[in-house]
Amino acid sequence: MSTASLPLAPKTGFWHNRAVKRFRSNLLAKIGLFMVVALTLACFVGPYLLPYDELFIDVRNRFAPPLTGGHIFGTDPLGRDIAARLFHAGQISLMVGFMAMIISTVIGTVVGVVAGYRGGWIGAVLMRLVDAFLAFPAIFLLLVLAAFIKPSPLMITFIIAITSWMEVARIVEAEVKTVRERDYVMAARSLGLSSSWIMFREILPNVIAPIVVAATLTVARSILMEAYVSFLGYGIQAPTPSWGNMLNGAQQYLIQAPWMAIVPGLAITIAVTGFNFIGDGLRDALDVRSQKK
Amino acid sequence: MLQTSLTMNRRKALMFLSAAGVTTALPSLTQLGAAHAQTAPAGQMVVGFSQEPTVFHPHLLHVECDEGVHYAIFDPLFDVDEKGEYFPILAKDVPTVANGGISEDGLTWKIQLRDGVTWHDGKPFTAEDVKFTLELMMNPNFQSWRRAGHELIEEITVVSPTEITWKMKELYAPYLAILASTFIVPKHAFEGQDLNDGPFNQAPIGTGAYKLKNRVPGDHIELEANTEYFGDGPYLERVVIKYIPDLTVMYTQLKTGDIDVLALQWITPDNYAEAQTIAGLNLELMGAPFVEGLSLNLQRPVFQDPKVREALYLATDKATIIDVLYYGVQLATESYMPQQSYFYNPNLPAHSYDLEKAAALLDEAGWAIGDDGVRVKDGLRLSFTCSTTAGNHLREQTQQFIQQSYKEIGVEMLISNLPPAVMWGDHWMLSQFDMALAALSLVSGPDPDSSDYLRSDASAAIGGTGQNTWVYQSAEVDELLAKGASMVDPEQRKPVYERLQEVVRQDLPCLPLFQHVNIRGSKVGVQGLVPNVNNRVDTWNIRSWRWA
Amino acid sequence: MIRFLLGRLWQSAILLLLVSLIGFMVLHLAPGGPMSRFALTPGMTKETLDRIAEEMGLNRPLIVQYFDWLWSLIQGDWGQSFRDKRDVLAVIGSHLYATLLLMGGSTVISMLLGGWIGVRSAMRQGGSFDYAMTIFCFVALSIPTFWFGLVAIFIFSLWLGWLPAGNMITVGDGSLGDILIHLILPTIVLALVNVAIWARYMRAATLEVLGQDFIRTAKAKGLSPRRIMNKHILGNALVPMITLTGMQLPTLLGGALVTETVFTWPGMGRLFLDSLGYNDYPVVMGLLMFSAILVVVCNLLADVIVALVDPRIRLE
Repeated sequence: MSTASLPLAPKTGFWHNRAVKRFRSNLLAKIGLFMVVALTLACFVGPYLLPYDELFIDVRNRFAPPLTGGHIFGTDPLGRDIAARLFHAGQISLMVGFMAMIISTVIGTVVGVVAGYRGGWIGAVLMRLVDAFLAFPAIFLLLVLAAFIKPSPLMITFIIAITSWMEVARIVEAEVKTVRERDYVMAARSLGLSSSWIMFREILPNVIAPIVVAATLTVARSILMEAYVSFLGYGIQAPTPSWGNMLNGAQQYLIQAPWMAIVPGLAITIAVTGFNFIGDGLRDALDVRSQKK
Repeated sequence: MLQTSLTMNRRKALMFLSAAGVTTALPSLTQLGAAHAQTAPAGQMVVGFSQEPTVFHPHLLHVECDEGVHYAIFDPLFDVDEKGEYFPILAKDVPTVANGGISEDGLTWKIQLRDGVTWHDGKPFTAEDVKFTLELMMNPNFQSWRRAGHELIEEITVVSPTEITWKMKELYAPYLAILASTFIVPKHAFEGQDLNDGPFNQAPIGTGAYKLKNRVPGDHIELEANTEYFGDGPYLERVVIKYIPDLTVMYTQLKTGDIDVLALQWITPDNYAEAQTIAGLNLELMGAPFVEGLSLNLQRPVFQDPKVREALYLATDKATIIDVLYYGVQLATESYMPQQSYFYNPNLPAHSYDLEKAAALLDEAGWAIGDDGVRVKDGLRLSFTCSTTAGNHLREQTQQFIQQSYKEIGVEMLISNLPPAVMWGDHWMLSQFDMALAALSLVSGPDPDSSDYLRSDASAAIGGTGQNTWVYQSAEVDELLAKGASMVDPEQRKPVYERLQEVVRQDLPCLPLFQHVNIRGSKVGVQGLVPNVNNRVDTWNIRSWRWA
Repeated sequence: MIRFLLGRLWQSAILLLLVSLIGFMVLHLAPGGPMSRFALTPGMTKETLDRIAEEMGLNRPLIVQYFDWLWSLIQGDWGQSFRDKRDVLAVIGSHLYATLLLMGGSTVISMLLGGWIGVRSAMRQGGSFDYAMTIFCFVALSIPTFWFGLVAIFIFSLWLGWLPAGNMITVGDGSLGDILIHLILPTIVLALVNVAIWARYMRAATLEVLGQDFIRTAKAKGLSPRRIMNKHILGNALVPMITLTGMQLPTLLGGALVTETVFTWPGMGRLFLDSLGYNDYPVVMGLLMFSAILVVVCNLLADVIVALVDPRIRLE
């Protein structure tokens, strides 16, 4: 969702841009931005500040509680430092979630806009494709695809992306269908503007709001998907940590070492909440129709 | 407690077709229950299984948990108890050479059957049913799960309703053990029915202590007492087999009292310490015939060097895996043979964890550390992938733990875990893995034969039919296996199998970690549970289970 | 309209055919097979597994197996489970009830609660209620369901001991009250996410409508907020709501899966995971087709209803 497609007043700078202003005045969006930035910083800088390596195994020192022996968040069943693992896992999980969101939103938006605007047989074929993908439960596709492919973080990203673009496509298609009949589109058409111009310059900016809402839900979904698949053991493989595979096995130790489950679970919740706050702020900020007069 | 209660004595071994002839007071069913006056079945017991029993026909393809129900519904002719002694059930006596049940040459068998036994539907049990069962196994129209041993039978004769004889093509020592796990099914239930897909599959009829009353798929199976049971028991009015797929949830339900016995798949070792502190729970450590180990695919060039296998074994910190990751519950072992077996060889060289020695061994064999820290020899990197069933967290911890040790001696081990259907499909059967972390039982029942796992021609990867997935080739092993199966006297067989274990220990086609010990939990007051390494199914004596 | 319906039905048939073909091929081409779970049974040999696979017809060419399966399906025979030889429809049927119970409860809660939160938040955008609910929704959407389920079990079952840890009934009971008690935790866990999804969509949809010219016109005309609400907003917000329902219903299979796993609920989600784990092809295919048919029907219904509600949409 590039802001370049928005009808911006040419002479105002970035900080005075209306959308940015609106975003800045949104408290939750700022909190969300802070959460994501803080978490991202922690994940990328944190490992350099910790005394332990995320792969270092010290089995005799397993299940050390938080704040003992230099382990801020304690240790796991192999005696590895949970803080170090959490930060490294964060790098992976954030990348997976973010990239999967981008890929799936682009696919979903393109398919949705084309299908909604073109209609006819192209629209029918595209929407049948959407239906076909939706007809497969995501977990089925994920598990079967994971059996075919060696599950590296990159592959998991793609697998999640190709199982989560359909909802965006459907929402966009439904919106475009209603927008299509509006006056300004009719006008553009009668002016003889090309279809792709109309689709992506005239219609797309006007359906950006639902795309942003859907995209924020997709980040949440992608990070959660990664967590769930890795939790089941089919996702990112050890010893590379991800928030999901850190939770894998944590349930067995909930009484004994509850921090093992609580720490990554909270990290996921914070990250996803942060992205959602930002998305919501963007939604309000980018609301094109309310910007017109 | 485990070792003492399960150690086999010599008497057990002598029961194998022994020509020496031992007069034993066989613990018959009535004797088992002699101490308890037979009372009307009362009460209910809820038994937790982590897999769902779905196959009630005992001769169709099935898994272990299905047998958990078979033992309640059906009876074999005779079975093996925890001391390794055979005891009769549907047969009057266990056939031996001494009592004339088996001829001197081991080829003619004669079995007297118990009189007055009825099927659950009231029809009488006769020798015709035994004949039908033995023939069913070899029926080409029937999808029999096991033909080994049965295929040697010829000429079955029903002498009278209570006597049956047959001849065997050749002497095959393990057959008695196979027969002990062969449940007799009623001939009349299959007349005019599809053998593979008849009503029997959903409504099994047996002679066992319990009848199948009701099944709620995906949830539980309800068994009710067979009040006409010929032997001792049943003591419970109702047994409910509850299917709980998650071991943690199952353990939780044992603690909350929702289930009375946590049987199949047992309590995980990481919960053992906590379970010991809970009042009202009885815990029992039971030796199982499974040995956990790192199976090596000997087709892979890196594993063809015996020094590499030896070095990897030296670099595997077994003691820490057992003591820390498995909470000291498991039994360290050097052999594939269960330690409770009469044939177990306790004198195998002991493992030691020694990284320096391992590294020296690799240096000596010409594996030099490369630029990336991984050893190389003739352009071949000392790198391989270890796989196991995804989601087994203790195995996953073990993998990561040894991964670090191997890294220290310049060996790269990658991890790639797979869903069970993939792991144990062609990946395993056709030896497509490099290294696999698995629990294997090379012996089935009390007999020491393991030809299907060790014989050179038993690898499916090279056109064989067995499960030698290590693709282990050894002329000496082949010779020992053939020799062992053709002898009947356990005392003569013992040195053969002891030597066999020595050879396997030396060649290391699989790096043994430990023999499995299962932790069974039950509510205080549950009585009659007896661990039995010779019969891996917990419910083998469910007929005797009762409340105090 | 009739032409539209006929066209869509035709498309639906093609879609189902596509889904079945792709599903069948992907499933059968994936490594592993239904025989693998017997591999570790002591005494098992490759020979036995191969013989039985042969007898079950699993070694025939894939395309032959597919058309064989398809032809049976068209005749109403969905095949038999490899695991227990029961008819696939009976297997699905016996798990449907449990899932419907769970889904029904949580769907009603999430539609009512989520819808109410969404509309109310939008009407008072930026108010304290909107803020509180926005935070609630985002946190709810952000908690991993399996993790939340486990935490709930540990708090309410193990720690407080108020509610059962899992399953649908207490063994030997199974009365309505018993089922309801077992239903509480999984329903709440499942509803948490869905309430948030509904609330977010309804809020977005209502705001969308609020921002449009005709509402301003209505306001300018001096219509009371309640009248605007009833007359314009609800009607217009209905479109995305129907679309969402059309999308949510087919998640019957996948949506409850996580919750069913954590709470060992004997529903279709767990059946699906189990069957997939065992490569029980007939049941997996049956569930796939069942869910595909559900998707087709729900989407068709959603499109038709949207068209009826919103006259601006042409049906072609």
